[in-house]
Amino acid sequence: MILIVNTTSDHSVTEELKEQTDSKGIKAEIIETDSMHISHCIGCNYCWLKTPGECSIKDDYEIILKKIIHADQMWIISDTALGFLDHKGKNIYDRILPIATMYLKFKGDQMRHVPRYESRTDVGIIYKGEPDAEYLKRWNERAALNFESRSLGVFKTDEIKEAVSCMC
Amino acid sequence: MHVLIINGSPRVKAFSNTDKILEQFTKGMAENGTTFEQYEVSDKKQWDAMRKAFAENNNILIALPLYVECIPGLLIEFLETVEKKADDTRLAFILQGGFAEGIQLRCGEEYLKILTERLGCTYAGTLVKGDNFSIRFFEGEKRDKVTAPYAAMGRRYAQDGGFDSEECRKFTGPEVFPAPVRLLVGFMFKTLAKKGFRSMATGWGCTKPLDYKPYM
Ligand SMILES: Cc1cc2nc3c(=O)[nH]c(=O)nc-3n(C[C@H](O)[C@H](O)[C@H](O)COP(=O)(O)O)c2cc1C
Repeated sequence: MILIVNTTSDHSVTEELKEQTDSKGIKAEIIETDSMHISHCIGCNYCWLKTPGECSIKDDYEIILKKIIHADQMWIISDTALGFLDHKGKNIYDRILPIATMYLKFKGDQMRHVPRYESRTDVGIIYKGEPDAEYLKRWNERAALNFESRSLGVFKTDEIKEAVSCMC
Repeated sequence: MHVLIINGSPRVKAFSNTDKILEQFTKGMAENGTTFEQYEVSDKKQWDAMRKAFAENNNILIALPLYVECIPGLLIEFLETVEKKADDTRLAFILQGGFAEGIQLRCGEEYLKILTERLGCTYAGTLVKGDNFSIRFFEGEKRDKVTAPYAAMGRRYAQDGGFDSEECRKFTGPEVFPAPVRLLVGFMFKTLAKKGFRSMATGWGCTKPLDYKPYM
């Protein structure tokens, strides 16, 4: 399953994505977060050390978290600010911590957290605005590494076709 | 020199590792008369005052934890609300994280240069160091051992107005661990560290295994 999380209030992007994935027979689930409550991560560490796998913030992020575990891919649609994702887009990444455990290991020459689940979810970004696109690409590769998955790339909203070609 | 210090951690001050680092850093920094004011991003009640101080100061230091390879969402949310500067503001950073190797922080460090430019400031360098996860779990001497070295960096900052020195670059420690060290540390992860994490969890009243899968 392909999970698409739209953190912007512009639904035209998801409408286009829906059209294109439908026509290709791709199973996609779209979540619009503009009507949801999603806090930032407060760094309490409960998801690792008190209630393993569960976030202490009881808001709508749990809906996303439960779906990520079953998704082959997650695409974040995000506005940008200060050359990077805006806070709404970044919060989706920060809150993903419960899918890792406290335990550590070496992956190649670097430390990583041991994943909580067997499944892996690759991540891609569709952005609006004018970020430092080169940096965003590099960052998403690094972020994906953290969850033992791959970056699917970083696309502007007028490159939806290119993004959809990576959805399979 | 007067410095505006912003703790960019979303974690409340009492438990923030960044705060404990700043405690030592500012001790060193203030020794020869440098003054400072400090705010916490984690406390939204301070945001109006912080925004005003950001506009008025031209020596600014943002200290922050690495959050998924970059800056925390909450810090972005605050910075989205500040006005771009047009004076000669020097912006420096203390970037700290959980993983121990320097290489882990480089992607985040790279962004801080982009951020500085987008905020209309001049980049005064970043002090980079990992291996800080446990500060909040330590007290007394054990905590001091991790945080005390930051005092010397505070002195350096007061002297140079930034972190562009060999001493600050060395502060990061190894970029990656050599293979034999990885082997040893990897073994510790499976044994001692696992036990340590388990006992931290028990101390917090955790009754489930740490690899529990609530959504399966
Ligand atoms: C959501 C989240 C993401 C994190 N991502 C990273 C990371 O990518 N790399 C790293 O080395 N540490 C990471 N950490 C660990 C923190 O940077 C580290 O524990 C830091 O000392 C916390 O400082 P604070 O208590 O002031 O917030 C992360 C922590 C949290 C809560």
